[in-house]
Amino acid sequence: MFLVLRSSLTWLLLIFVTASCAKKDDYSQKILYERIEQNVKGFDPIHSNDYYSSREVGKVYEGLLEFHYLKRPYTVTPNLAKEMPQVSKNGLTYTFKIIPGVLFHDDECFPGGIGRELVAEDFVYSFKRLADPKLVATGWWLFDEKIKGLNEWRNAQKDTAISDYSASIEGVKALDKYTLQFVLSKPFPQFLYGLAMSFSYVVPKEAVDKYGAEFINHPVGTGPFTLKVYSPQTNKIEYYKNKKFRDKFYPSEGEESDKANGLLADAGKKVPFLDKIVSYIMVEHNPAWLAILKGEIDEFKLPKDNLSQAITDMNGPTEELKSRGIEVVVERALDVTYSGFNTQFELFKNNPKLRQAMSHAYDAGTANELFYHNQGILAQTPIPPGIAGYDENYKNPNVGYDLEKAKKLLAEAGYPGGKGLPEITYDNLSDTLARQMAEFFSNSLAKIGVKIKPIFNTWPEMTKKIDRQSVQLFAISWIADYPDAENFLQLFYGPNASPGSNNSNFNDPAYNALFEKVSKMQDSKERTELYKKLARLGSEQLPWIFGVHRMNLRLKHSWLKNYKATEFKYGIEQYWDIDLEQKKLKKPQL
Amino acid sequence: MDNLKYFLKRLLQTIPILLGVCLIIFLLFHIVSGDPTHLILGKNATKQQMAELREQLGLNRHWFIQYLDVVKSAFTFDFGSSWATKQNIANMVKEGITPSLTLTLPAFIISTIFSLMLGVLVAYYRGGKVDRYVRVICICGMSIPSLSYILFFQWSLAYKLGWFDISGYDFGFPNFIPYIILPGIIWIILSIGPDVRFFRTVILDELYQDYVRTARAKGLNEVTVLFKHVLKNTLIPIITYVVIQLPYLILGALLLESFFSIPGLGGLILSALNNNDFPVLKAMAILSSIAIIIFSLITDFLYTLADPRVKLK
Repeated sequence: MFLVLRSSLTWLLLIFVTASCAKKDDYSQKILYERIEQNVKGFDPIHSNDYYSSREVGKVYEGLLEFHYLKRPYTVTPNLAKEMPQVSKNGLTYTFKIIPGVLFHDDECFPGGIGRELVAEDFVYSFKRLADPKLVATGWWLFDEKIKGLNEWRNAQKDTAISDYSASIEGVKALDKYTLQFVLSKPFPQFLYGLAMSFSYVVPKEAVDKYGAEFINHPVGTGPFTLKVYSPQTNKIEYYKNKKFRDKFYPSEGEESDKANGLLADAGKKVPFLDKIVSYIMVEHNPAWLAILKGEIDEFKLPKDNLSQAITDMNGPTEELKSRGIEVVVERALDVTYSGFNTQFELFKNNPKLRQAMSHAYDAGTANELFYHNQGILAQTPIPPGIAGYDENYKNPNVGYDLEKAKKLLAEAGYPGGKGLPEITYDNLSDTLARQMAEFFSNSLAKIGVKIKPIFNTWPEMTKKIDRQSVQLFAISWIADYPDAENFLQLFYGPNASPGSNNSNFNDPAYNALFEKVSKMQDSKERTELYKKLARLGSEQLPWIFGVHRMNLRLKHSWLKNYKATEFKYGIEQYWDIDLEQKKLKKPQL
Repeated sequence: MDNLKYFLKRLLQTIPILLGVCLIIFLLFHIVSGDPTHLILGKNATKQQMAELREQLGLNRHWFIQYLDVVKSAFTFDFGSSWATKQNIANMVKEGITPSLTLTLPAFIISTIFSLMLGVLVAYYRGGKVDRYVRVICICGMSIPSLSYILFFQWSLAYKLGWFDISGYDFGFPNFIPYIILPGIIWIILSIGPDVRFFRTVILDELYQDYVRTARAKGLNEVTVLFKHVLKNTLIPIITYVVIQLPYLILGALLLESFFSIPGLGGLILSALNNNDFPVLKAMAILSSIAIIIFSLITDFLYTLADPRVKLK
């Protein structure tokens, strides 16, 4: 018996020894190792409505425009378009010239397996795919009722067995091989942002026809990196440099600080710099944290659980990170967190004083310290910093921790000390952080006598309740789709009530009228001022108890160059570089 | 002939079981989860688009027709596409089985053999020091949450000592081997405690039977008694215990797969749960029910091999 046990242990030891033969690092190529936090939903641009999928799609596919990598505030710049479009005087017609000679990736879908040249007709086809009701594109909302004739084409395809892609549409036309024209059905000042988003990226018809339902796993784009096949059950995606990528160059302009930060050192050089990208799907934070410390991944978003291990009270990197050459990059998130009142719920509907009392009872400052390492900016309106319409000097009179004022307002609302006020349900997600925040929230409100009953939900349960308007109070956040205040102000627009994006079901005719006016205006000083006015008008009526505009912290190794924090990460890896000499010197040898 | 009859009878019994499983899955999803269209379309979903998608997914049809769809997929194995990822579910399952099995099967075999040996050993030395030490170790091992083992071993063996990769997986033999060793070791450690205690109890129960006393009275040595007589008679509970675990091996190890980025079926289930991905959950529930039915049938046949007195009727 002991002999058998001993031999088993010997085998186990042998396995240990075999396993401990560590893999050697490859310094012959510039390889970026990165982490993806969730599974990717394939590689079809029209379905890339989540952060992770759109980022991966952006490595392989491209659009007419892209968000400028260095300039802030965010602006769009030509990508597959030769230049910015010619816009008609009424602001409805946009004419683009496409760069000639751009090639799709080599793929079996093309004759001889050689990628063909991109033409304007490819965009027409790609927009029809986005509108095709049979494909249920998750990006359709962006252009819904915005492009002339596209909705009509979409409606006509609903009752057909096969969608008719040969029918011409007035609003999307190829005028010649390299000229594309869009005609909008109504003013849509955010249109150009839409063209920089992954939903509007161009795909070749040949690939869609060849792979059918499996097209989602066979990306064929024009982008800086190629990927042969994506496997849905993979934990690793490997991209290779597109050797036939057109002459595209690193930007020569940016923010003032970019030069000092070395972000313009590669200005004018041909991109991409990387030979390969290896994206690991690592759902759990802990292995990813160990992997960045060990130098196995080059950058990642710092999870809240590791905040105290990564940054000091002075918001600098800890000694451990410094010793490993890891830098902390602060990324201003274009978002807002809030606790939304269901303003159609009887208790809150005609009782602004109750909402004000609750707003003043919530200690957002302490919450910021506890949950965001004091990195967040206390929100006064939904518009975050970095977007035209954000007013840093504005202080919402109904926001701010003031217990005495809160108690007084609660009494004026008819509930002195909370007497007679029923318990209020507070719906939250069920992760640890959400539970802690809900606990803090209910304790804050308890100080004035308001009883809060936190309810924890999965995301599907939560959306179901919000859609049905069956919530009373709920914790949620909004992340910008594009860098325009309209994307935040529409959250208070009455017709967008649940199941639309106005999940607090706020409805003020004066607000609605002003929103309808301003949402049609092109970018101007006047529009910015109206954005500010609209933000104040809605926010002072407190559809929400405001939280913070968050800051994301990202960690990167010093050998990763040209790294600039951005909220729009489509295709940004093409600008990144790896300093192999520095990596050889600095990679931790554990 | 009896066996064939028994097999056919059990096969027929699977039909109502599967219908019941389908009904439970269907009711759970439709009562607990509700409309998934907002989740699929995202935060900007419009009412019209949600209505169109509901129509396309067939969620507007009579509930009985929808139930029949679930039943049909259980008998045709055509589970369609995932709502969340648009991927073909059959492909997802096919691709997920291999990573799950490469982790769970070797770990299960090793842990079972090792635990059985330890179980016999402690039964042999019952009441002695070895028995006491092994029992204490087993209880301590079982008292520590599995997540603690994962975090500790990942930090110590993979990060600090660098013996293993922190996480990852490569398809194909032998590429996957380096990636399954550490999670495999954790699986074995997690299994040994309950396994040893079970095997020890089963063997000790048998040791107090009359025939064992008779064997000893006849002068047989303890090793012969233990291996030739006792172990043979404990086979039925051991077979039950071992074979009934096999379907769960196919379903993967949820936490281990998640922490070690092994793209198996455990991760698939977790992600389907988070996304309210009914077609995937339906497929996994039906497949696991079928696997459990098949393996319990195998268990019955193994009884007849282990003990000729057992007749299947």
